[in-house]
Amino acid sequence: MESPLLPEFLVFLGIEVFLMLSLLNCLLDDRLPNAFSYIYQIAALFGFGHLVISREFFSAFGDHVRFWYGLIYLIAALANVVAINVYFGVVKRLWTLAKAWLGAVIFPAIVISIVFVFDYGIVQRATLPLQIGLIVSAIATSLSIAYPLVRAVDRSKKSGKKGGEN
Amino acid sequence: MTKVVFKKPVKLLILLLTSVLITTASAAVYYSIMMQPSITITGATIAFAQGNDWPSGSTLGANSTWVSLALKAYPNATLTYEQPLNVSNTDSASHTFRLRHVSITPASGQPQVGNFTFINFIVMDTDGVSQASFNYTTTSTTWNTPSPTSYLTLPGSTQWIIYVETKATAGANSDIVANMQIAVDVQE
Repeated sequence: MESPLLPEFLVFLGIEVFLMLSLLNCLLDDRLPNAFSYIYQIAALFGFGHLVISREFFSAFGDHVRFWYGLIYLIAALANVVAINVYFGVVKRLWTLAKAWLGAVIFPAIVISIVFVFDYGIVQRATLPLQIGLIVSAIATSLSIAYPLVRAVDRSKKSGKKGGEN
Repeated sequence: MTKVVFKKPVKLLILLLTSVLITTASAAVYYSIMMQPSITITGATIAFAQGNDWPSGSTLGANSTWVSLALKAYPNATLTYEQPLNVSNTDSASHTFRLRHVSITPASGQPQVGNFTFINFIVMDTDGVSQASFNYTTTSTTWNTPSPTSYLTLPGSTQWIIYVETKATAGANSDIVANMQIAVDVQE
Protein backbone atom coordinates (compact mmCIF):
# COMPACT_ATOMS: atom_id res chain seq x y z
CA MET A 1 0.00 0.00 0.00
CA GLU A 2 1.34 3.35 -1.01
CA SER A 3 1.00 6.41 1.16
CA PRO A 4 -0.85 9.31 -0.48
CA LEU A 5 1.80 11.50 1.13
CA LEU A 6 5.26 11.86 -0.30
CA PRO A 7 8.27 12.42 1.98
CA GLU A 8 8.51 15.91 0.47
CA PHE A 9 5.32 16.81 2.31
CA LEU A 10 7.42 17.15 5.46
CA VAL A 11 9.54 19.78 3.67
CA PHE A 12 6.36 21.54 2.60
CA LEU A 13 5.19 21.53 6.22
CA GLY A 14 8.57 22.92 7.33
CA ILE A 15 8.25 25.73 4.76
CA GLU A 16 4.85 26.65 6.17
CA VAL A 17 6.25 26.70 9.71
CA PHE A 18 9.10 29.01 8.65
CA LEU A 19 6.69 31.36 6.85
CA MET A 20 4.38 31.42 9.87
CA LEU A 21 7.38 32.31 12.06
CA SER A 22 8.34 35.07 9.66
CA LEU A 23 4.88 36.66 9.82
CA LEU A 24 4.62 36.28 13.60
CA ASN A 25 8.06 37.88 13.92
CA CYS A 26 6.85 40.81 11.91
CA LEU A 27 3.82 41.20 14.18
CA LEU A 28 5.99 40.95 17.31
CA ASP A 29 8.91 42.97 15.92
CA ASP A 30 9.08 45.13 19.05
CA ARG A 31 9.98 42.02 21.05
CA LEU A 32 12.12 40.15 18.54
CA PRO A 33 15.11 41.13 16.38
CA ASN A 34 13.96 42.68 13.11
CA ALA A 35 16.13 40.52 10.88
CA PHE A 36 14.38 37.30 11.97
CA SER A 37 11.44 37.88 9.61
CA TYR A 38 13.77 37.92 6.62
CA ILE A 39 15.93 35.05 7.88
CA TYR A 40 12.83 32.82 8.14
CA GLN A 41 11.77 33.82 4.63
CA ILE A 42 15.21 32.74 3.40
CA ALA A 43 14.86 29.47 5.34
CA ALA A 44 11.50 28.89 3.60
CA LEU A 45 13.15 29.62 0.24
CA PHE A 46 15.81 27.08 1.14
CA GLY A 47 13.02 24.54 1.62
CA PHE A 48 11.59 25.47 -1.76
CA GLY A 49 15.04 24.82 -3.29
CA HIS A 50 15.05 21.50 -1.47
CA LEU A 51 11.75 20.57 -3.14
CA VAL A 52 13.05 21.55 -6.58
CA ILE A 53 16.20 19.44 -6.10
CA SER A 54 14.08 16.52 -4.88
CA ARG A 55 11.99 16.74 -8.04
CA GLU A 56 15.02 16.87 -10.34
CA PHE A 57 16.77 13.95 -8.66
CA PHE A 58 13.60 12.06 -7.78
CA SER A 59 14.82 8.69 -9.00
CA ALA A 60 18.34 9.07 -7.59
CA PHE A 61 17.24 9.28 -3.95
CA GLY A 62 15.50 6.40 -2.22
CA ASP A 63 12.37 6.85 -0.11
CA HIS A 64 14.38 6.62 3.10
CA VAL A 65 16.84 9.36 2.13
CA ARG A 66 14.02 11.67 1.03
CA PHE A 67 12.13 11.00 4.24
CA TRP A 68 15.10 11.76 6.50
CA TYR A 69 16.02 14.96 4.62
CA GLY A 70 12.41 16.10 4.93
CA LEU A 71 12.22 15.20 8.60
CA ILE A 72 15.48 17.03 9.40
CA TYR A 73 14.19 20.18 7.69
CA LEU A 74 10.89 19.96 9.58
CA ILE A 75 12.70 19.42 12.88
CA ALA A 76 14.85 22.49 12.15
CA ALA A 77 11.67 24.54 11.63
CA LEU A 78 10.10 23.22 14.84
CA ALA A 79 13.33 23.84 16.75
CA ASN A 80 13.08 27.51 15.75
CA VAL A 81 9.52 27.64 17.07
CA VAL A 82 10.73 26.26 20.41
CA ALA A 83 13.81 28.53 20.40
CA ILE A 84 11.62 31.65 20.11
CA ASN A 85 9.60 30.43 23.08
CA VAL A 86 12.79 29.99 25.09
CA TYR A 87 13.87 33.47 23.99
CA PHE A 88 10.60 34.97 25.25
CA GLY A 89 10.68 33.04 28.51
CA VAL A 90 14.35 33.01 29.46
CA VAL A 91 15.94 36.02 27.77
CA LYS A 92 13.06 38.52 27.69
CA ARG A 93 11.17 37.18 30.76
CA LEU A 94 7.86 37.63 28.94
CA TRP A 95 6.08 34.80 30.72
CA THR A 96 2.57 35.49 29.49
CA LEU A 97 3.72 35.77 25.91
CA ALA A 98 5.83 32.62 26.32
CA LYS A 99 2.82 30.68 27.61
CA ALA A 100 0.60 32.01 24.84
CA TRP A 101 3.25 31.04 22.28
CA LEU A 102 3.45 27.58 23.83
CA GLY A 103 -0.26 26.97 23.51
CA ALA A 104 -1.00 28.82 20.29
CA VAL A 105 2.08 28.06 18.19
CA ILE A 106 4.24 25.25 19.55
CA PHE A 107 1.44 22.85 20.46
CA PRO A 108 -0.42 22.95 17.12
CA ALA A 109 2.81 22.96 15.09
CA ILE A 110 4.21 19.92 16.87
CA VAL A 111 0.93 17.99 16.94
CA ILE A 112 0.28 18.60 13.23
CA SER A 113 3.86 17.57 12.40
CA ILE A 114 3.59 14.40 14.48
CA VAL A 115 0.29 13.47 12.84
CA PHE A 116 1.76 13.73 9.34
CA VAL A 117 5.06 12.03 10.17
CA PHE A 118 3.12 9.26 11.92
CA ASP A 119 0.77 8.87 8.98
CA TYR A 120 3.67 8.57 6.58
CA GLY A 121 5.59 6.21 8.91
CA ILE A 122 2.67 3.82 9.46
CA VAL A 123 1.72 3.54 5.82
CA GLN A 124 5.31 3.05 4.71
CA ARG A 125 5.79 0.42 7.44
CA ALA A 126 8.55 2.43 9.02
CA THR A 127 10.86 0.67 11.41
CA LEU A 128 9.67 0.25 14.99
CA PRO A 129 12.25 2.59 16.62
CA LEU A 130 10.95 5.51 14.58
CA GLN A 131 7.36 4.86 15.64
CA ILE A 132 8.30 4.40 19.30
CA GLY A 133 10.35 7.60 19.11
CA LEU A 134 7.37 9.48 17.74
CA ILE A 135 5.02 8.16 20.42
CA VAL A 136 7.50 9.11 23.17
CA SER A 137 8.02 12.57 21.68
CA ALA A 138 4.24 13.11 21.37
CA ILE A 139 3.71 12.20 25.05
CA ALA A 140 6.69 14.31 26.16
CA THR A 141 5.42 17.29 24.17
CA SER A 142 1.91 17.00 25.60
CA LEU A 143 3.23 16.76 29.17
CA SER A 144 5.67 19.62 28.77
CA ILE A 145 2.88 21.82 27.45
CA ALA A 146 0.25 20.74 29.98
CA TYR A 147 2.46 21.06 33.08
CA PRO A 148 3.22 24.83 32.97
CA LEU A 149 -0.36 25.61 31.97
CA VAL A 150 -1.78 23.61 34.88
CA ARG A 151 0.68 25.30 37.25
CA ALA A 152 -0.30 28.73 35.97
CA VAL A 153 -4.01 27.95 36.47
CA ASP A 154 -3.30 26.70 40.02
CA ARG A 155 -1.32 29.81 40.85
CA SER A 156 -4.02 32.10 39.55
CA LYS A 157 -6.65 30.23 41.58
CA LYS A 158 -4.55 30.49 44.74
CA SER A 159 -3.77 34.15 44.34
CA GLY A 160 -7.37 34.87 43.35
CA LYS A 161 -6.28 36.97 40.43
CA LYS A 162 -5.17 36.48 36.85
CA GLY A 163 -1.79 34.74 36.56
CA GLY A 164 -0.20 36.90 33.82
CA GLU A 165 2.85 38.78 35.06
CA ASN A 166 4.04 40.25 31.82
CA MET B 1 5.05 58.15 14.88
CA THR B 2 3.26 58.19 11.52
CA LYS B 3 6.34 56.65 9.94
CA VAL B 4 6.33 53.68 12.35
CA VAL B 5 2.61 53.01 11.89
CA PHE B 6 3.08 53.08 8.12
CA LYS B 7 6.23 50.90 8.07
CA LYS B 8 4.86 47.87 9.89
CA PRO B 9 1.83 47.19 7.67
CA VAL B 10 3.97 47.59 4.55
CA LYS B 11 6.55 45.17 5.88
CA LEU B 12 3.80 42.73 6.87
CA LEU B 13 2.19 43.06 3.45
CA ILE B 14 5.48 42.39 1.68
CA LEU B 15 6.19 39.38 3.88
CA LEU B 16 2.65 38.14 3.35
CA LEU B 17 2.99 38.41 -0.42
CA THR B 18 6.36 36.63 -0.50
CA SER B 19 4.92 33.96 1.82
CA VAL B 20 2.00 33.36 -0.52
CA LEU B 21 4.41 33.23 -3.45
CA ILE B 22 6.71 30.71 -1.76
CA THR B 23 3.75 28.59 -0.61
CA THR B 24 2.20 28.53 -4.08
CA ALA B 25 5.48 27.70 -5.78
CA SER B 26 6.25 24.97 -3.22
CA ALA B 27 2.77 23.48 -3.58
CA ALA B 28 3.19 23.46 -7.37
CA VAL B 29 6.55 21.68 -7.11
CA TYR B 30 5.12 19.19 -4.60
CA TYR B 31 2.17 18.55 -6.91
CA SER B 32 4.50 17.99 -9.86
CA ILE B 33 6.50 15.46 -7.81
CA MET B 34 3.26 13.70 -6.90
CA MET B 35 2.23 13.49 -10.54
CA GLN B 36 5.62 12.09 -11.60
CA PRO B 37 5.11 8.45 -12.52
CA SER B 38 7.48 6.01 -10.89
CA ILE B 39 7.67 2.53 -12.35
CA THR B 40 9.97 -0.11 -10.93
CA ILE B 41 10.59 -3.33 -12.81
CA THR B 42 10.28 -6.37 -10.58
CA GLY B 43 9.79 -10.08 -11.10
CA ALA B 44 6.22 -11.31 -11.49
CA THR B 45 4.74 -12.17 -8.10
CA ILE B 46 2.62 -14.96 -9.60
CA ALA B 47 4.64 -17.02 -12.04
CA PHE B 48 4.43 -20.41 -13.70
CA ALA B 49 6.64 -23.36 -12.82
CA GLN B 50 7.10 -26.77 -14.38
CA GLY B 51 5.20 -29.53 -12.58
CA ASN B 52 6.28 -33.13 -12.01
CA ASP B 53 4.13 -34.18 -14.96
CA TRP B 54 5.44 -31.53 -17.38
CA PRO B 55 4.36 -32.59 -20.91
CA SER B 56 7.15 -32.97 -23.44
CA GLY B 57 7.11 -30.31 -26.16
CA SER B 58 5.79 -27.69 -23.73
CA THR B 59 7.54 -24.35 -23.32
CA LEU B 60 8.00 -22.24 -20.21
CA GLY B 61 8.40 -18.66 -21.40
CA ALA B 62 10.92 -16.05 -20.34
CA ASN B 63 10.56 -14.88 -16.73
CA SER B 64 8.00 -17.69 -16.25
CA THR B 65 5.24 -15.28 -17.18
CA TRP B 66 3.77 -17.40 -19.94
CA VAL B 67 3.61 -21.08 -20.77
CA SER B 68 2.66 -23.14 -23.79
CA LEU B 69 1.41 -26.61 -22.86
CA ALA B 70 1.41 -29.38 -25.46
CA LEU B 71 -1.38 -31.69 -24.34
CA LYS B 72 -2.87 -34.79 -25.94
CA ALA B 73 -6.37 -36.23 -25.93
CA TYR B 74 -7.27 -39.91 -26.43
CA PRO B 75 -10.43 -40.96 -28.24
CA ASN B 76 -13.08 -42.26 -25.84
CA ALA B 77 -10.67 -42.25 -22.89
CA THR B 78 -9.85 -39.64 -20.29
CA LEU B 79 -6.22 -38.62 -20.24
CA THR B 80 -5.12 -37.07 -16.96
CA TYR B 81 -2.10 -34.84 -16.37
CA GLU B 82 -1.82 -34.81 -12.59
CA GLN B 83 0.73 -32.03 -12.27
CA PRO B 84 1.69 -30.58 -15.64
CA LEU B 85 2.00 -27.04 -14.41
CA ASN B 86 2.32 -25.14 -11.15
CA VAL B 87 1.27 -21.60 -10.34
CA SER B 88 3.80 -20.15 -7.94
CA ASN B 89 3.51 -17.16 -5.63
CA THR B 90 7.06 -15.83 -5.41
CA ASP B 91 6.09 -13.14 -2.91
CA SER B 92 5.88 -13.63 0.85
CA ALA B 93 2.43 -12.00 0.91
CA SER B 94 -0.63 -13.71 -0.52
CA HIS B 95 -2.01 -12.67 -3.92
CA THR B 96 -5.18 -13.47 -5.79
CA PHE B 97 -5.47 -14.73 -9.34
CA ARG B 98 -8.06 -16.16 -11.70
CA LEU B 99 -8.19 -18.01 -15.02
CA ARG B 100 -9.92 -16.29 -17.91
CA HIS B 101 -10.71 -17.63 -21.36
CA VAL B 102 -9.24 -15.56 -24.21
CA SER B 103 -9.58 -17.55 -27.44
CA ILE B 104 -9.86 -21.03 -28.91
CA THR B 105 -9.34 -22.51 -32.37
CA PRO B 106 -10.84 -24.14 -34.33
CA ALA B 107 -13.71 -21.79 -33.75
CA SER B 108 -17.20 -22.99 -32.93
CA GLY B 109 -19.03 -24.17 -36.04
CA GLN B 110 -15.93 -25.82 -37.50
CA PRO B 111 -16.43 -29.61 -37.93
CA GLN B 112 -13.11 -30.33 -36.12
CA VAL B 113 -14.62 -29.12 -32.85
CA GLY B 114 -16.81 -32.19 -32.71
CA ASN B 115 -13.70 -34.36 -32.19
CA PHE B 116 -13.29 -33.14 -28.62
CA THR B 117 -15.38 -34.04 -25.59
CA PHE B 118 -13.77 -31.89 -22.91
CA ILE B 119 -10.56 -30.20 -21.84
CA ASN B 120 -10.70 -29.47 -18.13
CA PHE B 121 -8.27 -27.39 -16.08
CA ILE B 122 -8.56 -27.76 -12.30
CA VAL B 123 -6.66 -25.57 -9.86
CA MET B 124 -5.60 -27.56 -6.83
CA ASP B 125 -3.95 -26.39 -3.64
CA THR B 126 -0.92 -28.05 -2.04
CA ASP B 127 -3.16 -30.62 -0.33
CA GLY B 128 -4.74 -31.59 -3.65
CA VAL B 129 -8.06 -29.94 -2.85
CA SER B 130 -9.80 -28.44 -5.87
CA GLN B 131 -10.04 -24.65 -5.69
CA ALA B 132 -11.56 -23.96 -9.08
CA SER B 133 -12.53 -25.70 -12.32
CA PHE B 134 -12.12 -24.23 -15.76
CA ASN B 135 -13.79 -26.59 -18.24
CA TYR B 136 -14.06 -26.51 -22.02
CA THR B 137 -16.77 -28.83 -23.30
CA THR B 138 -18.41 -29.32 -26.67
CA THR B 139 -21.96 -29.59 -27.88
CA SER B 140 -21.79 -30.98 -31.39
CA THR B 141 -19.42 -28.49 -33.13
CA THR B 142 -19.77 -25.72 -30.58
CA TRP B 143 -17.34 -24.96 -27.78
CA ASN B 144 -18.81 -24.24 -24.37
CA THR B 145 -16.14 -21.90 -23.06
CA PRO B 146 -15.86 -21.37 -19.32
CA SER B 147 -16.55 -18.15 -17.47
CA PRO B 148 -13.62 -16.65 -15.58
CA THR B 149 -13.03 -18.33 -12.24
CA SER B 150 -13.48 -16.30 -9.09
CA TYR B 151 -10.27 -14.78 -7.73
CA LEU B 152 -8.36 -17.42 -5.79
CA THR B 153 -6.09 -16.47 -2.91
CA LEU B 154 -2.68 -18.04 -3.29
CA PRO B 155 -0.75 -17.81 0.01
CA GLY B 156 2.75 -16.37 0.00
CA SER B 157 5.67 -18.57 -1.13
CA THR B 158 3.29 -21.35 -2.20
CA GLN B 159 2.78 -23.35 -5.37
CA TRP B 160 -0.58 -24.62 -6.53
CA ILE B 161 -1.16 -27.23 -9.19
CA ILE B 162 -2.99 -26.97 -12.51
CA TYR B 163 -4.48 -30.42 -13.05
CA VAL B 164 -5.64 -31.19 -16.60
CA GLU B 165 -8.05 -33.77 -18.03
CA THR B 166 -8.69 -34.23 -21.75
CA LYS B 167 -10.95 -36.50 -23.74
CA ALA B 168 -11.77 -36.87 -27.44
CA THR B 169 -14.91 -38.43 -28.84
CA ALA B 170 -15.01 -42.07 -29.84
CA GLY B 171 -13.86 -42.28 -33.43
CA ALA B 172 -12.15 -38.87 -33.30
CA ASN B 173 -9.71 -38.14 -36.06
CA SER B 174 -6.06 -38.02 -35.09
CA ASP B 175 -3.93 -34.95 -35.77
CA ILE B 176 -6.79 -32.57 -34.97
CA VAL B 177 -5.30 -29.76 -32.92
CA ALA B 178 -7.09 -27.31 -30.67
CA ASN B 179 -5.26 -24.18 -29.56
CA MET B 180 -6.59 -22.26 -26.65
CA GLN B 181 -5.34 -19.16 -24.93
CA ILE B 182 -6.05 -18.72 -21.24
CA ALA B 183 -5.09 -15.61 -19.29
CA VAL B 184 -4.09 -15.64 -15.64
CA ASP B 185 -5.23 -12.36 -14.07
CA VAL B 186 -3.27 -11.44 -10.97
CA GLN B 187 -4.28 -8.86 -8.38
CA GLU B 188 -1.28 -7.23 -6.75
